[in-house]
Amino acid sequence: MPGARRRRGGRERLVQVLFLAPAGLYLVLFFGYPVVKNVLMSMQAYTTRTFFTGEAPWVGLANYATALGSTLFAPAMLNTALFTIGSIVGQFAIGLALASFFRRKFPLSGFLRSMLLLPWLLPLIVSSATWRSILDQDSGVLNAFLRSLGIIQEPVPWLTSPSVALLAVVLVTIWVGIPFNVTILYGGLQEIPEELYEAGAVDGATGWKAFWHITWPNLRPVVSVVLVLGVVYTLKVLDIILGLTNGGPANATQTLAVRSYQESFVNFQFGVGAAFSNILILISLVFAVIYLRLNRRAVDE
Amino acid sequence: MNKKINRLLALAALAPLALTACGGGGSQASANGKVGELTVLDYYNNEPDKTHIQKALDKCASELGVTLKRETVPGKDLIQKVLQRSSSRTLPDVLMLDNPDVQEIAATGGLSPLSDYGVNTSGFAQGMLDAATYEGKVYGLAPTANTLGLFYNKEMLAAAGIQPPKTWDELKAAAAKLTTGDRYGLAFSAIATYEGSWQFLPFMWTNGGDETDLKSAKVAESLKLIDDLVASGSASKSVVNWSQADVRDQFAAGKAAMMINGPWQIPSLAKTPTISWEAVQVPVHEAGQIPVAPLGGEVWTVPLTGNKDKQAKAAKLVECITSDENQLALAKERFTVPTRTALAGDYVKAVPQMAAFTDQVSHARSRTGKLGKEWPKAATVMYTAIQLALTDQATPGEAFTRASAG
Amino acid sequence: MTATPTTAPARLRPSVTARSRRADRPKLGHTAVGILFLAVMLFPIYWMINASLQPSGNTLTADFLPLKPDFGGYQKAIEQQGTNLVTSLVISLGTVVFSLAVAAPAAYMLGQIRSSWINVGLLAILISQMIPGIVIANALYAAYNDLGLLNSIPGLILADATHAIPFVILIVRAFMMKIPPSIVEAARVDGAGIARAFVSIVLPISRNSLITAGLFAFLFSWSDFLFALTLTTTEDVRPVTLGIYTYLGTQVSNWSAVMATAVLSSIPAIVLLVLAQKYIAAGATGGAVK
Repeated sequence: MPGARRRRGGRERLVQVLFLAPAGLYLVLFFGYPVVKNVLMSMQAYTTRTFFTGEAPWVGLANYATALGSTLFAPAMLNTALFTIGSIVGQFAIGLALASFFRRKFPLSGFLRSMLLLPWLLPLIVSSATWRSILDQDSGVLNAFLRSLGIIQEPVPWLTSPSVALLAVVLVTIWVGIPFNVTILYGGLQEIPEELYEAGAVDGATGWKAFWHITWPNLRPVVSVVLVLGVVYTLKVLDIILGLTNGGPANATQTLAVRSYQESFVNFQFGVGAAFSNILILISLVFAVIYLRLNRRAVDE
Repeated sequence: MNKKINRLLALAALAPLALTACGGGGSQASANGKVGELTVLDYYNNEPDKTHIQKALDKCASELGVTLKRETVPGKDLIQKVLQRSSSRTLPDVLMLDNPDVQEIAATGGLSPLSDYGVNTSGFAQGMLDAATYEGKVYGLAPTANTLGLFYNKEMLAAAGIQPPKTWDELKAAAAKLTTGDRYGLAFSAIATYEGSWQFLPFMWTNGGDETDLKSAKVAESLKLIDDLVASGSASKSVVNWSQADVRDQFAAGKAAMMINGPWQIPSLAKTPTISWEAVQVPVHEAGQIPVAPLGGEVWTVPLTGNKDKQAKAAKLVECITSDENQLALAKERFTVPTRTALAGDYVKAVPQMAAFTDQVSHARSRTGKLGKEWPKAATVMYTAIQLALTDQATPGEAFTRASAG
Repeated sequence: MTATPTTAPARLRPSVTARSRRADRPKLGHTAVGILFLAVMLFPIYWMINASLQPSGNTLTADFLPLKPDFGGYQKAIEQQGTNLVTSLVISLGTVVFSLAVAAPAAYMLGQIRSSWINVGLLAILISQMIPGIVIANALYAAYNDLGLLNSIPGLILADATHAIPFVILIVRAFMMKIPPSIVEAARVDGAGIARAFVSIVLPISRNSLITAGLFAFLFSWSDFLFALTLTTTEDVRPVTLGIYTYLGTQVSNWSAVMATAVLSSIPAIVLLVLAQKYIAAGATGGAVK
């Protein structure tokens, strides 16, 4: 009997390994090397010349000093924080509201829910160009609409005023992110057994109470993964900002991701660009660790 | 060493998959002697340019007895592609580069000087040679060039009884007078990219400003001009977000009476026949000054691929594509200006619309002529300063100091 | 509403009746609210279609409705982007299959094993999501060039899976962790090995999460531009995102063709998404829990 168990344990370990091996191998191959390379790059004087010669003098942390010392660093940090928080809060709140709304089956609900994914099918270059024309101060349809409703008197300088541009970029990012949040949260809601609500209703838990005592605890693993992925994805958003404002006007929408791109591919300072992207990765890591902590606590419970 | 690890890792794991993969792979160096095929990389990915360039390339290829394998990529991704190719030693045999990038790429050691192949570079516009010269050697030639000018809507100016402006004061007065309801007098690009810097150069250079001394009063004066235009409402506040294509759209939609733009917009303007336009040189500060505009255009280069025979053939291809005959043909089709200055007369006779631009090219300056690899930094300071001033974050006087703080 | 989940339908009967009672209330109001919200969300897309029907390709002088539609852009897109569209579909579907096959077993195991190493693994997966795509693309180009994977569909599927695999692992794991261990254990008592229990019990129960994750694997791959650009050097294998760039020149762009291509290429994809979403069942685990 003990022998059989041991044999079974050994086989189980083998199965575990077989389940994990393909993914593990893939991660090492497709991510391991690039990460190492990015870290090395950030500690080298990596220029366009390096690509041809392979020679890049070791400079230690000098690139990080350059990145941290630049006058744009503090504003970029602040913008990154505002941009990420604003986008995530907006996407998640609207996403959860819509997911709950779609959970009540109604005619066409499945179709409408699918259509929500449409923004994801468009290349970002196309949607940001469209948004740029919608948000145009003089001829944009949004200002025309708001004016016809009498909400505003003067056109809003969505993308042309440094004090509004970040908000406009956040709005577009929320628009892009809603489908992701709705779909995953909806999937999570669907997994919550109907019986729980029925039992809850018997105990008088309906509406908000049901949400708080039944939906939220059951949805938590999905919520935490949606949020952590949302933060990671939002931190590195680049195309939307480049497409809408290019970091302008007057650097009002500079984020760490934009800095990283511009240092590498506009100023050809690949070492500094890599330093910026590693700082970004470090910030994401903080969120990842928080996620794992929460995760462990959830498992312990 | 990095490279070795990379390759080992990749080979070990991807090998089984490679068996199922079809085709592809790097170009194999042919046996010495005969050259059968040359690879070409450029950014003319859009029609009609793609076809025009293809025609010119094909003609030269058949003269040289080679076949071409051409790849076109989107403009903003070209440099990235070039760098990938250099790190894996798969550079194309013939490489097109935007002229301000030539020195940057030449500095990598990835290009070969044309003098190695005995290519004659005399008679070309000095600005273009400056752009393509690194450490005293010419690395590429351009068949045609472009620059900026002032387009104006003939009907709108006639209705307002205005002559096309020649000086800054006239420009301000005309723009103010032409501004009505939902129409601005002037449109230009002050976007936070090199396009914004490029559009500022005609004003800055004509006024005697220089990229080596951006904090000078001359530069500040030029910035004050465009700041005044926006502040007075003669130009839209949206210029800080407009690319040159947006500027063209505004002009073509009749929402701007004049615009600063380049001759590459001419074919698309022709699609809106309701707009009748003409172009003049960019106005100068005071009458009598010579307008100095930046020189645009793409340069064809010969990368170091290691295959001497192919490099020699590639140099022949560059020579062929920049021959007089090809220059004129491409210039006519693409509304660009031949870079061999002697061809200007013939060209203007054939394409009178291009007279102002052809004049402008003869005095045009290259962006990287003075600063070389340092140009990107200066250009970044320029568009940042412009944005600071136009969004009222700084006065034109202090904008460049603020922007160059890094 | 008689959407009957596949698992243990008999046990679900009470909830079905409960729901149909609720369904008696008029739900068309919900539909109206849903349509209204969708209209707001999709307005930019309408505006894009409007632009695509303008001869100028922009809406500067456009009315709210394209009264004088110009189909030139569409004609161009249909003529030139058909093959690219098929390429995109093949690559995206390939990415879905490959990603799910690699990620689902790992997701399950990562949810089952209790070990501090799991957190290391999860952290690694999260880090992989933080790496800028361009860094990966640069590294892959060199490797692909050596292996002859450039300009190949398998090469692009493998590369596009970098967007999807870490994501699928995390999402599917979050869902699978909620599967009550008792269900799987019951099967194990009956003599099934882990692998069999996984295939016959875990996967069917996780259908919702697999479809959700698969949808995004499809979307990630569909919208990829970076790998398409980096890992192809000819026009033989060209996804439609890259095909769109045929109309986006360095100096001049044909926006009506760009937008027409975006619109046309969305149609087959949205059909697939609608079909896939149909298979997300309500309360799938519900019946099996008791």
